[in-house]
Amino acid sequence: MTASAEKGRTQAYERLRRLLFLVPFVSKNPGRSVDEVAKAVGVSKEELLEELDLLTLVGRPPFQPDDFIDIYVEDDRVFLHLNQRLSAPPRLTAAEGVALAAAAALLKPSAGGALASALARLEKVLPPQAVQRYREMSRQLDVATEAPDSIAVLTQAIVEHRELSLEYSGLGKGEHERRRVRPLELFSHRGQWYLSAFCLTRQGQRFFRVDRIGAVELLAERFTPSTDAPPRALPGTGEIEKPVKVRFSPELAPYQQERFGEAAVTQDDGSVVVTVPGDSERWLTRWVLSFGGNATVTDPPWAIRAVAQAASASLRSD
Amino acid sequence: MDRTERLLDLVALFLDATHPVTWDEVRDAFPDEYAGSFDAAQRKFERDKVELHELGIPLTHVLETDETPAGYVLDRNAYYLPEVGLTPEELAVLYAAGSAVLASGAFPGRQDLAHALRKVGFFADGPLPAPRVRLELGGVADARELPGRLEVLWGAINAKKFVVIDYFSPHTRQTTTRKVDPWGLALRRGVWSLVGYCHLRKAVRTFHVHRIRRAEPNAQKPRVADFEVPKDFRLDAYVASWPWQHQFHQPLEVSVRLRGELAPLAEQLFPFKAKRADETAELTVPATDLDGLVTYVLSLGADARITAPPQAVDRARALAQRVLDAHQESAS
Repeated sequence: MTASAEKGRTQAYERLRRLLFLVPFVSKNPGRSVDEVAKAVGVSKEELLEELDLLTLVGRPPFQPDDFIDIYVEDDRVFLHLNQRLSAPPRLTAAEGVALAAAAALLKPSAGGALASALARLEKVLPPQAVQRYREMSRQLDVATEAPDSIAVLTQAIVEHRELSLEYSGLGKGEHERRRVRPLELFSHRGQWYLSAFCLTRQGQRFFRVDRIGAVELLAERFTPSTDAPPRALPGTGEIEKPVKVRFSPELAPYQQERFGEAAVTQDDGSVVVTVPGDSERWLTRWVLSFGGNATVTDPPWAIRAVAQAASASLRSD
Repeated sequence: MDRTERLLDLVALFLDATHPVTWDEVRDAFPDEYAGSFDAAQRKFERDKVELHELGIPLTHVLETDETPAGYVLDRNAYYLPEVGLTPEELAVLYAAGSAVLASGAFPGRQDLAHALRKVGFFADGPLPAPRVRLELGGVADARELPGRLEVLWGAINAKKFVVIDYFSPHTRQTTTRKVDPWGLALRRGVWSLVGYCHLRKAVRTFHVHRIRRAEPNAQKPRVADFEVPKDFRLDAYVASWPWQHQFHQPLEVSVRLRGELAPLAEQLFPFKAKRADETAELTVPATDLDGLVTYVLSLGADARITAPPQAVDRARALAQRVLDAHQESAS
């Protein structure tokens, strides 16, 4: 089979899989708008209308008028008349089960019991012939995340729209501040977890680094989240706060080029220089130490001194 | 007739049937579709059956009985998704994880995942949860190619087809072309690895997916497996979850002491049980990459120390000294 025939096969498979969901969905939710149905099935409006066209051709032998799936759009709403068949989607395939289980594993620390019980239920609804394949394939997709334990309570607060009281130590070292927030979104960026929230204490939208959040208290007060998407700007993507230049030796240069892309500037001797935020001195010094001498801060002087101090602290005998 | 249309017609036919559907009845129902010689028609129907099977549609052939002829049966109970019975919390967790992964882009089986989420949400009353959790996966600056590569590799893993890859090594700065039997994909610290049998090196090898510049699966005989994955294969044995786990030398037992604010975090920082006394925590780490462990301990700050054996203590001091020298020179 040629590559294009293989692609055609995959497209036919995807289409059929979509249609076997679309029919039961409209049957269960008659009169939804074309947009809503398209969104639920994961296609564009135009694609949905094409699928509906095809479905009107589908029937069973002997293909008399009553034998066709009667699906139609009226006033921009989708309706369906059919007897009992296709009243529910097919069970999960082994591949679908594995993909879902692997995705769920990424949030393992946050999910606790709910995740384990959800996966146990899912395995029960796999078709019997897919269970073996599911177990086999589960061995072939293995994900581990470094999500900190505290994202459990933060996720819960986001899901349940509950306010939080948290202890936060901002840029200044050591001092904890109590903040009351409405949590909106949790995300990881460059290996760092952030909570995006509306801070009631400061009356404004804020990003909180999860590793700087101390004790968290889940409050009883609920809030109605705004339907607007939370701000998408990522911390550290605009102007870099307190920029620090770090040079990597030629042997580490290709690895840092992978990580930083064009932001890694190659020098004449084969080393590369990257610019990172120096807002957390602690993060900076530890990150530089983790390269064991193959990374050197070149500017500004305060950051050079900070790394030198951190290195001598590690050398001092107890 | 469009292939998708024929397959849907078949599903409708079998779901409606009140008795096993004989092969003659199938041919009569689709005279144009299963035309030609008996063998050719039978082969075409067999291919359709395989396709339906992959979609989770279990069509089986039953033998003749006193009441019914021999024919094909679709077990409705095995076809229809039953109510999964997920609690709102369980559904919320699955949607949180699933939607985070779909938004991140770099995850294999995204189509499968999207369908799985739709199906588990099918019986939910009311709007589906849309928890706002986002993950950044891929760990590299330029991850544009990554989602497509992961799909290709996951497809080859599922179909058990070998792939030919161009692999770039940052160490040698060379690209080599290799034939690999893909056994599995693993995600560690935001980086995806492919583990498989490398025909060039004649051994099991681990490849960072972002360093694969090209991946072509074997397109010959897509339904025939090229290889079998060994029964005892575990991805975890080939990908390092922790920096001291790369297989560089014989295991060395290294003692690590944590104090101050690190002591209570011992089990989070190391996947081992710690011994605690006087507000310190002591751990033993079996390292197969000593420098990986030493630099990890240095990165924890002065409250983390390697205390034994002398070889490891000396290495930690040497690397800290290198950092100090480099920064004293540039400061002066």
